[in-house]
Amino acid sequence: MRRLLLLPAPLLLLAALAAGKNVDLVTLPDRASVQLTIYNSEDLTLVRETRQIALKRGRNQLQFSWANTLIDPTSVEFRPLERADEIELVDTRFPGSKPQHLVWTIDSRHEGQVKVEVSYFTSGITWSMDYVALTDAREESLAFRGYVRVSNGSGEEYEDAQVRLIVGRINLVEKIAALAQRRGLPAPAEKSELYGELKKQSARAAFAEADARDEAAGKEIVKEGLSEYFMFTVSGTETIRNGWSKRMEAVKADGVKFATVYRLRAHQYGPRPVRFFLWKNDAESGLGGSPLPDGRLRVLRANADEGLSLLGEETVSYVPIKAPIEVNLGPDDRVSCETVAGATRRYDFRFDHRPARVVGWTEDAKWQDRVRNSRDREIVFELQRVEDGDVEHSSEMETTLFDYRTIETRFVVGPRGEVAYPSTVVRRMGASQRQQRVALR
Amino acid sequence: MRKTTFALLLLLVPVSPAAARVKLAALPPRERVEIQLDHGRYTLVEEERVVPLLAWSAEAGNNLVDFSWANAQVDKDSVLFRPVAVREGDAFRPLRDGEVKVVNVAYPPNENALVFEVFSKEACAAKVRVSYLIRNLGRTFAYRAVADRDEQFLALKTYLVLGNRSGEEFAGARVWAGIGPRIDAGPDDGDDVRLLVDRATKVPVRKTFTFDWYAHGPLSAEKPFASRVLMHYALRNDERNGLGRFPLPSGKARVFLDDGKGGEAFLGEDWVSLTPLDGLARIFLGEARDVVCTRTIERNERRPVEGNLFHQEIRLRYEIENFRDKPATLDIVEQLNRLAAEYGTRPPGDVEWELLDGTTDGIGLSTGKGGALPVLSVDLAPRPKEGAVGKRVVTFHLLLKNLW
Repeated sequence: MRRLLLLPAPLLLLAALAAGKNVDLVTLPDRASVQLTIYNSEDLTLVRETRQIALKRGRNQLQFSWANTLIDPTSVEFRPLERADEIELVDTRFPGSKPQHLVWTIDSRHEGQVKVEVSYFTSGITWSMDYVALTDAREESLAFRGYVRVSNGSGEEYEDAQVRLIVGRINLVEKIAALAQRRGLPAPAEKSELYGELKKQSARAAFAEADARDEAAGKEIVKEGLSEYFMFTVSGTETIRNGWSKRMEAVKADGVKFATVYRLRAHQYGPRPVRFFLWKNDAESGLGGSPLPDGRLRVLRANADEGLSLLGEETVSYVPIKAPIEVNLGPDDRVSCETVAGATRRYDFRFDHRPARVVGWTEDAKWQDRVRNSRDREIVFELQRVEDGDVEHSSEMETTLFDYRTIETRFVVGPRGEVAYPSTVVRRMGASQRQQRVALR
Repeated sequence: MRKTTFALLLLLVPVSPAAARVKLAALPPRERVEIQLDHGRYTLVEEERVVPLLAWSAEAGNNLVDFSWANAQVDKDSVLFRPVAVREGDAFRPLRDGEVKVVNVAYPPNENALVFEVFSKEACAAKVRVSYLIRNLGRTFAYRAVADRDEQFLALKTYLVLGNRSGEEFAGARVWAGIGPRIDAGPDDGDDVRLLVDRATKVPVRKTFTFDWYAHGPLSAEKPFASRVLMHYALRNDERNGLGRFPLPSGKARVFLDDGKGGEAFLGEDWVSLTPLDGLARIFLGEARDVVCTRTIERNERRPVEGNLFHQEIRLRYEIENFRDKPATLDIVEQLNRLAAEYGTRPPGDVEWELLDGTTDGIGLSTGKGGALPVLSVDLAPRPKEGAVGKRVVTFHLLLKNLW
């Protein structure tokens, strides 16, 4: 049962005048197509439908109604797609006695059939993204796939709709349900049965009677920029049944070269070194056609004929074009780091007065970070350490500052090899402290 | 009785939006199942099946392949469906570009099932691999070590213990735990299976004795200056020792001693922590009652420096007796931060100290565990065949500096 009705209103209104009430004796122009633009940051779908209507020369009235749906009435737009210079929308009226109805007054210099577009915001359909990266057995390159998953929580089965997905965070000042309430429909609570039913109706109407084109060998998902957002368009049409989700390949790149880096950042990733795979969302990686929306990424290794191994999974945050993709696979049992403290020395004591008490001093501390690589290939190791206080840091190995209190170094550890990163830290403590920073010596 | 069904169905219906979930299906059996346990947290199952596919046509559309399960805890979002080959004659050949392709996957509501829409250029038998993460199918590791009579070598066996509470039967599935060979020994639901994955017949082992006053405190009221002496086997995970093929995973180790009469005596058990390649594994066996060590503080003098700043001179005396009939090396661990805390408010960081004259010559002194954690290694002779056991006296003379 359709809920969205577009009624050429002359007969309807004449009958209403004669009888003193609406008598819906009308012909219903069918939808020619429906296009859904689904946003992932809000429960919001932009519906654009086209219909063929018949207009007479002079003044026409069209009634549009959306009983039992969660449509934002303020978003409903009418636009002629043909003979636009001969058709003028005079006004849009929302009859107080008929909630969830509106009447457009249209002046037309054309008489006959014309194609028009009606668009509005509704809710009930969502989409999300997920990724799979499948490395070769040597972990040198990977096949990267991104999938869009459109979920229909509406309760009804929908057929053959053109689907577009918007990547980005839009700003909404009011929820669609709240806006629906403005025109006389009490907006139910979001988790109520009525709210669910309204979402069903809304989505059902949106999907009904859409274009039934289909493709055999797979959907192509066309990606294009759209202001600060990005749009994925699913080629052809899709049928998404009641309560079902449908997952389609949206991003594909083979032979993506990636770097492997081990990072020890106790303040960020815990006490053990973690392994990262790094590549970029760019053309060199066979990617870069679009940003990558937020989604879960699973990394697996294809062990030739020996099946797959799961290397790790992580939630990827939105990756702009040309931005790096960094996947934390967690600790690797074959790479370890042991920190061993060396000798400590204290000097330059400062005392306050009567009785003299130690209030400040300088302290030299030495330690070694011993990184052991049990893999049969060399690894790149990055170490960051946060030092609080007034600190001077020195090492025989090249060290830089990541920020005012974090030292950073990077070195290569050979296959089945070990590298020791020695450090000496001079700290001014207590009253001797003058700074809150690390200085490299 | 098989409680679970994992089914891969080729639905004999065209792609139709109106198609109900009433299925007429071909049931391709599993050709092969692999269980990958190399990840510590997740278990990945991959099964291979041969699926007959129809060629796409405008009337029939694409193939629908339904993958469903019951009573098993499969992570629905993890399911991957990968066509890898098609049959040509009697053999399978790799797929050509675009020959067979997964168009999409649909998730029916309230069902443990996925429906893959698969395009095929020609009618064919396609080899597909379906992988998924499954819960409650896990693994642990265990070791069984048998020391020779002289405790010079260990015969070390590494076992993989599989526990299957996933709800699915995996008998005969090939299992890989990240170490050792792949084994065709998957467990049925509810079963635990213990598999030998590695064996080293002659691993050199060193028996160590450790005395750490601050870790264990006085032995008893009657022996207030003695403390426990702990006994470990130490073995290095490298190729020279017959190991070094993989990091030793954490697991319980049970240690036995060959009694020389065809039997074994149980020495003790311990949790072995993850030991990287070339790393040292230490298995705690228990308390050595035949190595006795007492610790007394012979000298304890404060040396004022300025104001409340002072040094503390300390001379520790250890008396050690070895009642064993074999020589031993006792490692004495002194936690100097704890020692310093007895005399003043120790500043943050490790205590500063220096070795003074009077420390016994000829003992090993190492700070490999940390600058404030010196270890004194003392060699002990076996008990004499005749006469009383002598006491080995060791002195550790040091200055704890700049305390207040």
